[in-house]
Order: sequence, then structure tokens, then C-alpha cells
Amino acid sequence: MDVELTEILEALCQHAPFNEIADDPQLNDMTKEIEIRYVRTGEWVIAPSAPNNTLFFIRSGAIEVLSKENKLIQRMNEGELFGYYSLLRSGKSSQSMRTIEDSLLYCIPARWFLKLYEENDIFSDFFELAREVRLRAAMESQNSDVSLMTCPVVSLLRRPPISTDISSSIRNAAQIMAEHRVSSLLITDKDELIGIVTDRDLRTRAVAEGLAYDTPISEIMTRDPIVMDSGDYASEAVLKMMDRNVHHIPIVKNGRPIGVVSTGDIIQKESHGSVYLISDIYKQTSIEGLQSISRKMTHTFTQLVLADANTQMIGNAMSHIGTAFVKRLLQLAEEKYGPPPVPYCFIALGSQAREEQTIKTDQDNALILSDKYNKKLHGEYFEALTDWVCNNLDKCGYDLCSGDIMASNPRWRQPLNIWKNNFSEWIQKPKAEALLRLSIFFDLRGIYGDKTLALQLNQHIRQEAQKHSGFLTFMARNANQRKPPLGFFRQFVLDGEGEQSRTFNLKERGIAPIIDIVRVHALACGSDKLNTLERIEDIEAAGLLPNGRAKDLTLALEMIGMIRIQHQKEQIENGEQPNNHVNPENLSSFEKRNLRDAFHIVARQQEFIKFRYAGKRS
Amino acid sequence: MTKPLLKKQEDLQDWQEMFAQWAEEAPEGPLKRYYQAGMIAPQTALQDTPLLALDLETTGLDPSQDEIISLGLIPLNHKIIRCQGAKYWMAKPECSLNAESVTIHEITHSELEEAPRLHAILDEILLALTHQVIVVHCVAIERQFLLKASMKIYGYPLYFPVLDTMDIERQVTFKPWWKRFGRRPSLRLDACRQRYKLPRYKAHHALTDALSSAELLQAQIAYHMDPKADISNYWI
Repeated sequence: MDVELTEILEALCQHAPFNEIADDPQLNDMTKEIEIRYVRTGEWVIAPSAPNNTLFFIRSGAIEVLSKENKLIQRMNEGELFGYYSLLRSGKSSQSMRTIEDSLLYCIPARWFLKLYEENDIFSDFFELAREVRLRAAMESQNSDVSLMTCPVVSLLRRPPISTDISSSIRNAAQIMAEHRVSSLLITDKDELIGIVTDRDLRTRAVAEGLAYDTPISEIMTRDPIVMDSGDYASEAVLKMMDRNVHHIPIVKNGRPIGVVSTGDIIQKESHGSVYLISDIYKQTSIEGLQSISRKMTHTFTQLVLADANTQMIGNAMSHIGTAFVKRLLQLAEEKYGPPPVPYCFIALGSQAREEQTIKTDQDNALILSDKYNKKLHGEYFEALTDWVCNNLDKCGYDLCSGDIMASNPRWRQPLNIWKNNFSEWIQKPKAEALLRLSIFFDLRGIYGDKTLALQLNQHIRQEAQKHSGFLTFMARNANQRKPPLGFFRQFVLDGEGEQSRTFNLKERGIAPIIDIVRVHALACGSDKLNTLERIEDIEAAGLLPNGRAKDLTLALEMIGMIRIQHQKEQIENGEQPNNHVNPENLSSFEKRNLRDAFHIVARQQEFIKFRYAGKRS
Repeated sequence: MTKPLLKKQEDLQDWQEMFAQWAEEAPEGPLKRYYQAGMIAPQTALQDTPLLALDLETTGLDPSQDEIISLGLIPLNHKIIRCQGAKYWMAKPECSLNAESVTIHEITHSELEEAPRLHAILDEILLALTHQVIVVHCVAIERQFLLKASMKIYGYPLYFPVLDTMDIERQVTFKPWWKRFGRRPSLRLDACRQRYKLPRYKAHHALTDALSSAELLQAQIAYHMDPKADISNYWI
């Protein structure tokens, strides 16, 4: 009679990869060939340099994996598999395994492992040895097809474009829009797109101004509107709408308009508040109004996460929202204190500059003043302006910076030439301790006012950094300060020497190290990008890293970022304040595995920059 | 490490000798052939002993009234349990099942309805037990039910040497009364397994329970028994 070892099969099928191939009838046959061993604490399962021909499944207990040099590599517990490295290398084992608790092990013969590995793609993907490949596969499995992130903007188009010739009158145009029930109209000249008119334009530029109905449409249209290519992603349309504060974007294919995407289309596709949130911010005339919007931000964030937005997208949206708050506050401040006596540029630092903000951030900002600035004449104005803006940002949920890196601090409110001198000093005579605090200044973006001031300063920084390799040595050393954990063991975070702790800071030990690594490379290759992913593209183009390694950083960043965002979303849903402290108990085994792979990539890249920017002379 | 289970010389049993005797007495048939196949010598080391974990599910706890409805077997040695040799039978009882025992066993009426009677499969079971030392948790139940079945079917008793994981546990957890603190530790299979950090299984499936006691024995051997010691120290 057919014997079914249900207990064993069920135990296997509770864990990856067996849970994903539970319908494979071969599993039952495999189970029949399993051997079970009980191994007491401290005994070798695979002794150093001993051959191995078994895939081990930890039914209960725990083991630790040691390198050839007897260094701890990781610890594993119930439901985890080991021994497959050597099976894929015809029995040779470079790592050794030893029990650290009394353990019950299911021993699966190599033959079965290799058979499933050959025949079942899901199974073999799981054992993919290259962490990068494994991570990539994991990322892909996370992307859903319906999201804005992956759908091309064309898929949002609901009808061919409605257009009229440049010679039309306002009245003609309005009639066409009414007839087709559209809120925007493309204006063409000999089939070429030259402008766009929206409902709002008719209201504010024609009716409110009392223009005659026969006025040519060209007088109220927006010339050379922002367009997107049919191949672009819908997510890019959202970003563009937020960035430019527009609600309609014509889509062109081979230079000819094929339709218009409106915020309405996007809302229909996915409830996605960030576009509206930004236009709301610009409509506010009081602090109370801005505050009430800031309270909706967590909702917007959750919506984005629910819509499967990736980290890049969310970071971008959150930064645009943050920037909108700053801009609106500065507009209000200029109404209150009058126009600025000399040009200035309000700059964002750190995550906002990189466009990687998340839901809970302090403000990090500064002010570059024109060199025409005279403290006696203008000091009071800028002090009042920045105090007012920074305090009100605090009221809108962007907490005051604990390190006082804010435009309201006179030290960080300086004319361009002083800023240039500061940077020259930091770069030419680097001090490790000081640079640690200052690294935030190397991510600097002008967000309001005379942005050429910020561009000039960034250019100066790039030139200085490339000239002084000693500075890069310090930055590389600092980028090695925060090490990612080794991995996880049960409910603990596992570190190099075997220490275990309850929680860890995903930002400090996963995301920040990647940002630091990328910043060093970006400075080395003179990239003018600020966003980490964009910097990675420049680094790759400059050939600073061995083939493909730059992409690995992107992968690791996206994976860690995704888990962080998911974590924060859950905190919000539970009514908690979102933070970066992650308790391994709340991570799925899928997440733990991917994090471990990502951490490994980060640790390796940290090693690499130490060597790459070692203190050699230029 | 202490190996506290070794017996005094006068307590050692010689199952090999007894098997030879029963082989003489037993009536012709499968049971005689079972005894004729013999038993390992009492001097055989535990590590060389062929072991077979066994568990029965029954309609109740009274061997005089209740019947065997399933039987699971799984082979092992002192270090390894081999799923490959696992065997499992169901047997249709003579009397009708009450609903209560069905819920305990997770075996449905229809499954049992289609199963053969015990007398049709006992030959096959005997063949599997041949030359094996049986591992059970709580020897009394298994022995009595199989004894009764063999009396009924062959007209002669079925005996077999046993490593009783419950008895082993009783000995290793034993403390004289003046050293005891509070209640005696539980000897239920699940409780014993937890002392060795073995996982919890769903009870009351003959094959799973056989596996459970096989794993428990592995742990007991690792902690308390000497693989090189004679099997006669352990079998009962």
C-alpha cells in the first residue's frame, strides 16, 4: 500500500522552496528516501573539508556555518536548508556546519536535490548561488503587472487626441471640448503639436479676463507643452505632473500626438493622491492649511505602497511633496517679509536632495546667498525669513534638525564664496570625524530661488573632489563605518563576531552604507547626479566598478528600501510612528533571505572601496 | 557521560534462545516461520541492531474488546531513520466503529470500510517484523494487542523484543523520592520529545507515531545509551 509520510512532507512544504513546488508529485517520492538524524549540540554535521552528498533540512534545532578559516558565516534554524553548495560543486565543501542546538535533520539524498534542480525552475532559482541573480529574481517576483510602475503610459490613453488647428477661436475650441466632453484640447499647426488648452485655461485666461469669443486660441494656450513618449512608464507621468504641477500631458509617438493623459486617468488607474496633494500645497495661504495637508501625508504614503510603487518612486514622490512645502513656505515668507534684497538659493541636503525622502524625516537644509550679500544690510531679512520657514516646516511635520543643519543656523546661511571656501577646506584638509558629520553636504540640491547658485557650488565641489584623492580615502573610510549585519538567526540579528541583538536600524545599517558607497564613487567620477540610482548609472558608465557590480548596488538598495517601506506602512497601519527599527520577528523568511543577500553585497562593496580609494597619492 | 541504563548480568534476557524454543512449539505457518528466522544474539551491539519503530492505532484501549485499525513501521539504526522502509496498513475492525475514535485517528469510516481484515494482512506484517528489534513508546499496549491478534489468528502468541522509549525515559528521569521536587516528569510521547527539543507532531497516525518514537530513541541514544553496549542491556 502507498505509504505517505505526511508529517515529513508537510514540514518540508511549510518552507521555501518546497512550499512553492508543493504540487510536484515527485516530492512524495523524495520524502520516502529521506533519512532522519538527531544531532546533539556542538557536533559536526559537515566537518571541515569533509565531502558532502546530502541536502540537509533543519526540522528542529539550529546550526552554524563556518568558513575555511573558521569564521562565522551564518546561523540557520528550523526550516532552513544547507549543504547544497557542495552538492552543486560535486560534493566538495568549502564551508563546515556544526549544530549549535540539539537538532533533528532531514537528510535528502543528493540525487533528489540534483533531479529537482534540473527539472524544476522554481526549485533551482531558489538555490541560485549568485546572490545578485537571486535578488534580481526576488525583485521581479514582487512586481505586479497592474501597477503604475510597470505599465506604459499608452495603456492609460482612453481615446485618440482631440485637437484643433491654431487658427481656431476660443469659442471653436470650447465647442469642440464640450462636444467631445474632454478637459483639454491639443492645438496643432499642420498636424504638429504646438500647444495645449485646458478647462482651467478657458476659465482663468479667457472668461475671467473677459476675452472676446473670437480671440484666437493661440492667445490662451500653453505653448510647447511638456510631452511624454508613448514608451514611457505611467509612473514617470505621475512624477512629471508633480514636478511641473500640471494635470495634462500629451503623449507623442514618432513626434505626433496620440493622446492626452490627465491626472483623472491616473486616479482612475490607481488611487494616487500625491499629484493632487502637491497642487493643494500650492493653493494654501496659511500655515494651518499646510498643516492640514501634512496630516494627509501618511495616507498618501500608504496609498503609494499599496499601489506597488517602488522605492525610487516613493522617494521621489515624498521629496517632491517635501519640496513643495518648502517652496510654498518661501513664497508665503516672501509675501510676509517682502522680496529678497539679494538673490539666494534655498538648498535641500541629504535625502531630500537625493530625492529619496521617506515618510518620517527631519529637515536638512541651508541657504546660499549671492556674493552681493552684506550682513549689515541683509542679515536681518534672511534671519527672519529662514527662522520663519524652518519653524513652520517643523509645524508641517518636518522636524527641526537635531544637528542644527538648517538654513536658520547662520553658519549654514552663507554667501557662495564662503560656501566654496568651506568645501575647499573640507576636501583639501579632510578630518575623518568632521567629514562624518558633513557627508550630508555632499548631497546638495537647490530647490527655490536662484538655482544657479547651487549649480555653481556643486560644480566647485566636483572639481575639488576629483583633484584631491586623499579626500576620497577619508570618505571611503567613513563609508565603512556602518557595517550591515551578517544575517538573522531566529528572532535575532546576527553580527560578525556572533553577537545577536533584538532589533536593528535598517536605514543605518543597510540603506545609508549603500548611499555612502555610491557617493564616494560619484565624487570620484565627477558625476553631477544626486539621486543614488542615477549616480550608480554614472558610476557604471565611468567603469569604476567591475562589470555588473554597479547594478548590484541598485538591486541591494531597492530590496532593502522595499522592505523598509513595507515595514513603515505596517507601522502606520498599526497606528505607530513609522521608524527604521526592524525586529527580525516581523520579517518573513523571504525578506530575511533577501536582506541577507543584500547585506552581503553591501559588505563586499564596502571592502572594495576601502581598497579602491586606499591612500595612494595622485 | 553517564550511561545509566546498563543492566545487571542476572537481568539480561536472551531473546535468541527464546525464539528458538517458540520456533519448536509454534504451529506450522507464518508465525512458525517468523520464529524460525530467529533473533539476533544478545551480545549484538546496539549499533549493529536492526531496529523497527512500530505504532498501532486501535478502536480503544482495552485489548480484550478493542481492535487494531492501523499499523505503521519505520526502520532505523542507532543513528539514522530510513523513511524508505516505512510501511503502513489499515485494517477493517470486526465491530462497528464509534464516532469518537474516528475523530481521534483521523481515519474515516470509508477508508476503513475499504481496508482488509487484520487476518488478511498479519502474515505480511510478520514478515516485516522478522529479525527486528521493535521500538515502541509504551510496550504494554502494542504487545497486548498483537498478542491477542496472533492468538486469534494463529492460535499461538506473538512475542518480540522491544526497546521501549517510555521505559527508557522512566529510567533516565528517575529520581529517588527524597530527591524529587514536585511532580514526576510526564512520560507521554510528546512530553518526552520536548525534553530533547524534538518538534511537535500531530499524534494519532500510526506512521507518524512510529516516526515519533523512532526520533525519540535517536535522542535517547545520543544522550543516555552506549551504541557499543550489548543490545541485551536495553531490550525487554
